[in-house]
Amino acid sequence: MSRLELYSPEGLRVDGRRWNELRRFDCRINTHPQSADGSSYVEQGNTKVICMVSGPKEPSNKSQQNSSGAVIEFNVSIASFSTTNRKKRSKNEKRTIELNTTLERTFEQSIIRKLYPRTTISVNLHVLAQDGGLLAALTNASTLALIDAGISMYDYISGISAGLHDISPLLDLNTLEESGMSFLTIGVVGNSEKLSLLLLEDKIPLDNLEDLLAIAIAGSHRIRDLMDQEVRRHANLRASKLVK
Amino acid sequence: MADDRKRLSTGLVVTSKVFVSSKNGGATKIVREHYLRDDIPCYSKCCNICQLDVKPNALGEIPEFVLSQEPNKLSNGHPHYVIIDTNIALHAIDLLESAECFYDVIITQTVLDEVKNVSFPIYSRLRALVKAQEKRFVIYHNEFNEQTYIVREKNESINDRNDRAIRKSVEWYNKHLNTNNSKTNVDIIFVTNDKDNYRKAKSDGLDARTLTEYIDSLPNAEDLHDMIPQNITSDEQDMPGETSYPEYYSTARILGGIKNGTLYQGILNISTYNFLEGSVSVPAFKKPLLILGSKNLNRAFNSDSVVVELLPKELWREPSSTIVEEENVGEEGNVDDENEGENQVSTKIISDKERQLLAQEAMRSTSSKELQQQEKRLQPTAKVVAIMRRSWRYYVGQISPSSVQDDSSNVARNCFVILMDKLLPRIRIKTRKARELLGKRIVVVVDSWSSNSKYPQGHFVRCLGDVESAEAETEALLLEHDVEYRPFSKSVLSCLPEDGDNWTVENNSNPEDPKFAKRVDLRDRLVCSIDPPNCVDIDDALHARKLPNGNYEVGVHIADVTHFVRANTALDAEAASRGTSVYLVEKRIDMLPMVLGTNLCSLKPYVDRFAFSVIWEVDEDANIVKVDFMKSIIKSRKAFAYEEAQIRIDDKTQNDELTQSMRILLNLSKKLKSKRVKAGALNLASPEVKVHMDNETSDPGEVEIKQLLETNSLVEEFMLFANISVARKIFDAYSQTAMLRRHAAPPATNFEELNNMLRARKKGMALSLESSKALADSLDRCMDEKDPYFNTLLRIMSTRCMMAAEYFPSGSYGYPEFWHYGLAVDIYTHFTSPIRRYCDVVVHRQLAGAIGYEQLDLSHRDKNKMEIIVKNINKRHRNAQFAGRASIEYYVGQVMKNNESKQEGYIIKCFNNGVVVLVPTFGVEGLIRLEHMGDASTSIFDEDKFELSFTDLKGNNRKLAVFDKVHVHVRSVKDDTSGKRKAQLVLV
Repeated sequence: MSRLELYSPEGLRVDGRRWNELRRFDCRINTHPQSADGSSYVEQGNTKVICMVSGPKEPSNKSQQNSSGAVIEFNVSIASFSTTNRKKRSKNEKRTIELNTTLERTFEQSIIRKLYPRTTISVNLHVLAQDGGLLAALTNASTLALIDAGISMYDYISGISAGLHDISPLLDLNTLEESGMSFLTIGVVGNSEKLSLLLLEDKIPLDNLEDLLAIAIAGSHRIRDLMDQEVRRHANLRASKLVK
Repeated sequence: MADDRKRLSTGLVVTSKVFVSSKNGGATKIVREHYLRDDIPCYSKCCNICQLDVKPNALGEIPEFVLSQEPNKLSNGHPHYVIIDTNIALHAIDLLESAECFYDVIITQTVLDEVKNVSFPIYSRLRALVKAQEKRFVIYHNEFNEQTYIVREKNESINDRNDRAIRKSVEWYNKHLNTNNSKTNVDIIFVTNDKDNYRKAKSDGLDARTLTEYIDSLPNAEDLHDMIPQNITSDEQDMPGETSYPEYYSTARILGGIKNGTLYQGILNISTYNFLEGSVSVPAFKKPLLILGSKNLNRAFNSDSVVVELLPKELWREPSSTIVEEENVGEEGNVDDENEGENQVSTKIISDKERQLLAQEAMRSTSSKELQQQEKRLQPTAKVVAIMRRSWRYYVGQISPSSVQDDSSNVARNCFVILMDKLLPRIRIKTRKARELLGKRIVVVVDSWSSNSKYPQGHFVRCLGDVESAEAETEALLLEHDVEYRPFSKSVLSCLPEDGDNWTVENNSNPEDPKFAKRVDLRDRLVCSIDPPNCVDIDDALHARKLPNGNYEVGVHIADVTHFVRANTALDAEAASRGTSVYLVEKRIDMLPMVLGTNLCSLKPYVDRFAFSVIWEVDEDANIVKVDFMKSIIKSRKAFAYEEAQIRIDDKTQNDELTQSMRILLNLSKKLKSKRVKAGALNLASPEVKVHMDNETSDPGEVEIKQLLETNSLVEEFMLFANISVARKIFDAYSQTAMLRRHAAPPATNFEELNNMLRARKKGMALSLESSKALADSLDRCMDEKDPYFNTLLRIMSTRCMMAAEYFPSGSYGYPEFWHYGLAVDIYTHFTSPIRRYCDVVVHRQLAGAIGYEQLDLSHRDKNKMEIIVKNINKRHRNAQFAGRASIEYYVGQVMKNNESKQEGYIIKCFNNGVVVLVPTFGVEGLIRLEHMGDASTSIFDEDKFELSFTDLKGNNRKLAVFDKVHVHVRSVKDDTSGKRKAQLVLV
């Protein structure tokens, strides 16, 4: 049993946040204009992710063609230096494959696939540093890079994690917190309350789930706004260049 | 380290904490985010601004402002708040908890974290103080406040940085409260015993004081002086050269040593008969490692967690067969070190490699059987080289009269306190009131034991009362066994139903309530309860009836405590921490408040009560056809005492339905019992006696050996039956967290000595240990025609070789290890006494969850939380048993005081300078020293035969051996040094 006080009786968490506060969220769009069709960089606390999208393009393998819509491929690679203890990770690690599938399922719903028949859209994600909320950061980075690549989507997908400490819901966990409580990750569609992703690997009592989802959705909306700001900032920059 | 603060759009400031952790030799750099904020309140009611900006926590609760608007005043009339340094929290926690001083205390996060790293128990006590709010303690998170967070400077040590952080908070509070923010000016006093910190605070212009200075400035300074811990008072005059113990090893050396197998860690057990001999059981050796002599024990207390190092083989010994008690050794306090010759611990340097060889040899010698007879009993010896965790707590004792100087001046003087626990050394305290406190029971705390002091240094906490007064003795034994006996707090009592004693089932029967609808109405069943006479907390009731198909319906109904004790309430937390009710001879310390235990939950006759019922359908041979669990409403028809029930059953003229059903129960219980015995259940014995109290004078009257009637066993069988059925059900539903109870098989080594005794003294008798069945059978075979009590004696002695049963969550062991050795069942739990045991409360909730009555609380589904609960109740259970026994022992002593008599006794242990005799009539055992029986110089001790022969006082030759029946004069004497009354036995 860890003796760490994850949520003090005074209402402060290990890193000084209150229960409903996000970590620092920084994002950049179009970070690698030369090497990809769309790219982004997301920092959520100390979790850092680069995303590069290429496509829509002709699939390398004919058999992968789908005439009804685009095939979406995710490819997450986790750097061996991303955790405090270096660990070599193979590409086919179960954990990574699971992440890929989860992301594919999430984005299949929000990309308007029928606009790009017989093509592939591949999303390459590189995890540079991990400090909790990995799946959420990956989701956010993918959303931004897809937007940058000009791929039609119904709306933003913004991800966030939230955990349950005893009976208190806590938003946006870091690694320390993740190892001490059960938590879920959600992806919310735009400003709605629709979920396109919900991942829960532990048990959470049903009575507490609703509170937890409520703060997670509120957190996602804030993330969406932050991403929206960045997209608009970048768009204005480009527009000003066009005028010249 | 550069301060790289960055402001976020939300107003928070983020920075990072970077530190290096070294694990397994390698160094890793860890970077963590650290958020600083400006909305951390000062928690003072004086403050005008903080109260305007409060943020609720996750549950919507708003923080309470605790620090008083009119804080206590110093003797100079200034109202003040206190901020303490870490060393004050660590060393003077008793003062902080005392009701006489330290109100309105601010504990900074820096202090709290430091305390947590050094001592978790003290941290918990601080937290409890904050939570109770009675003493107005608050925690101020200075590390998260933008204005008080500081960054470690270059070349500054972590300690210096933390000291500076605390000073910064003092400064902040000063500024915050003594400007126009607050209605009244409040002095902020910084109490520290760290010289450096004190000096720097003074030069910063802060009001810093040492603990002594602070106490002196209080109006009631006089009374508090004795309670200042000794080790941190600055004017400590050392007593050089008194004696010197070897220094402890460094942490690095210990960790390395444990890793490469040259050092071992374990719990120290001091031998009951020799306070200079301890043993440590470590998994690497079959036999425990012996630790002989005070040098080798090296300041360790009984039950400390210690690290030991093996001694060279020349120094291996047999466990001593001599009795040594401290009172005989250190009467004057300056007696030199004890008689052992092996004090000169080899000073030659032994390399690690040699040590490893030594360890291997030790392992070989403890496992191989082909060693010579003489070497067979050799045990590896070791010395203590470090103490991982002290078991220090409050100790009860009394001042040794010989250590008090005749001196009328009012100066604090050193004197010795002799503790009630014989296994512990005497403690040196400094007090002005030594002569006042003579002949009183007092509570002391140990502060330190430095390597150049022969005795540990402690300080006085409070006085309980005269030695031998019933109140003082009872309180002393409750304290000694760590039993919480204070009345229930307000927050606990507020969880009780509002109607109190007027609560009735009718008023609380709401058919609309879905939970109530699930209750089964069993008021038509002829339920009755059978308990000891005058029992008020009736946990259980029974009924039985014949079904038309020839089978029987049997019901066990248990008080529905969890209807009142809801999870996550203050009441539940209190019950969980008490763990069990404690039964003493003259009083009972309840786990639950009176109104529940003796009324609302208690299954009293003639009234409706909520119950949790287990209903079986069993056939003629008591085989289960079907079992059902349900919450119910019952109405007990009668509350019997065991004897009353027995008479009613035996009375042939009574043939009413209730008596009939009791006869059915008795019949079935006999079948259950015979099945259990067939399976190998053990029938052990204890020398327990019962003390009758005179009703009017409440003086102890007479002592009686506990008697068992058929009806006792009737109730017991059905309770076992219910417990087993429930255990299966909850294990089914919660495979990882079901609360169960196991009893491990005793290791063969436990019985080694007993079997050796049997082999030597009783031809052809032996106990076999292959299974509980084999043991039960062999116990039955060990009969001595000449002495019917011998069998019981043997059972008592075997009980002492058993392992203790324990509670555990089902996930911690594999199914085969659930086995309950004593009862010979595969799975077992406690379900039937929720009024007096917390385990049963948890089991009730789990069973309610398993049958879908209500959702099981999260804390009983979480393995970690269950581990915590289980650890606590195992400890409480053990302590309650010890306290109960100690209480009986005390009262038996009081009874014997008035009736000196000649009794039969049995020798159960034989040493070369005495024997231990058990007197069954009083359930006491005592030591008779050789000097008191005869001429010590003529004695011959035959260790293989467990026989001591000597010339007695009349000049006759006498032989005493284990299992011998002897006649002894029993009387009780008060031991002047320890103030403890004990049985003195004199051989006739």
